[in-house]
Amino acid sequence: MFRPFADWLATTRLSELFQNQLWIVPTSQSIHIISVCLVFTSAIMIDLRLLGVGVRGRSISQLCGTLVPWMWGGLCVLLLTGAIQTIAEPVRQFVTPAFWAKMVMILIVVAMTSTFVRKVRISAARWDEAGARPANARAFAISSSLLWIMIIVCGRLIGYTWVLYA
Amino acid sequence: MSAIQDLPLSAAMRGESAGTEWLFPIVETVHVLTLTIVFGSIAMVDLRLVGLTGRGSSISRLSAETLPWTWTAWVLSAISGSLLFMSKAVTYFGNFEFRMKFIFMGLAALNMLIFHFGAYRLVNQWDTGVPPISARVAGALSIGFWVAVIFFGRWIGFTT
Repeated sequence: MFRPFADWLATTRLSELFQNQLWIVPTSQSIHIISVCLVFTSAIMIDLRLLGVGVRGRSISQLCGTLVPWMWGGLCVLLLTGAIQTIAEPVRQFVTPAFWAKMVMILIVVAMTSTFVRKVRISAARWDEAGARPANARAFAISSSLLWIMIIVCGRLIGYTWVLYA
Repeated sequence: MSAIQDLPLSAAMRGESAGTEWLFPIVETVHVLTLTIVFGSIAMVDLRLVGLTGRGSSISRLSAETLPWTWTAWVLSAISGSLLFMSKAVTYFGNFEFRMKFIFMGLAALNMLIFHFGAYRLVNQWDTGVPPISARVAGALSIGFWVAVIFFGRWIGFTT
């Protein structure tokens, strides 16, 4: 059902501009990957810290204070470069389930993360002390890590699966 | 290079026989996942050196805690990268972007060695404070070199 929209989007002036300037898509993808590095590593480092490994020299609230701004900043760049890639090649994105699975998982993990960040900000002491940490902290850490990994896997699979549906 | 390309494993990486069609995408996904940890963990230390994040925190501790993840991810990235290379060794070896990627990875390694045996030897003098100018330059160069590695890496896929 998104196919007619994708076909229309591909004929717009903006899309044609992105398609004709051959450097735009590779450059956008390169910036996209660099942003993935910052967002994914930040998320994994916080998750690992919740599980008691990795950067133990800093408390959870300190680590969140340092890394979360980079995560949100990186996500904005991801959204922008992702939008450029989608406008340039709309059919490639909209036809494959990998794209939609990726989008749904991004929404879930962003909602989970912002709830978590708010909780940590409200009661830092509760999160910083291993014994006092809420019971679902481990569940959050594991599910958020798995979601980010699957988001990257689906992102990579868009490029390989779209031809099967186009 | 053509001897590498003729290996049975290289043929499998090209998806030439039944059951290997998805080998290249799977290995490439592993490469992407692991390289994000390589650059992300290096960037955490570099950004602290430059002074953009984590001011006041111990650099040596951050470095010690992130380094095992950097190296583990780097080894996995190197293994998956080698497998990708085998699939079209002749083409990749002659590719400009591929060569540039490795030149910049060499520069990043050289920069790391100079930093490690230079400014970092006196880290206890500036561990939680502002690093000396040579350490800040090393951090900035490291970010620049690794960004170049990722850019050229992505461009290999568009030029081969």
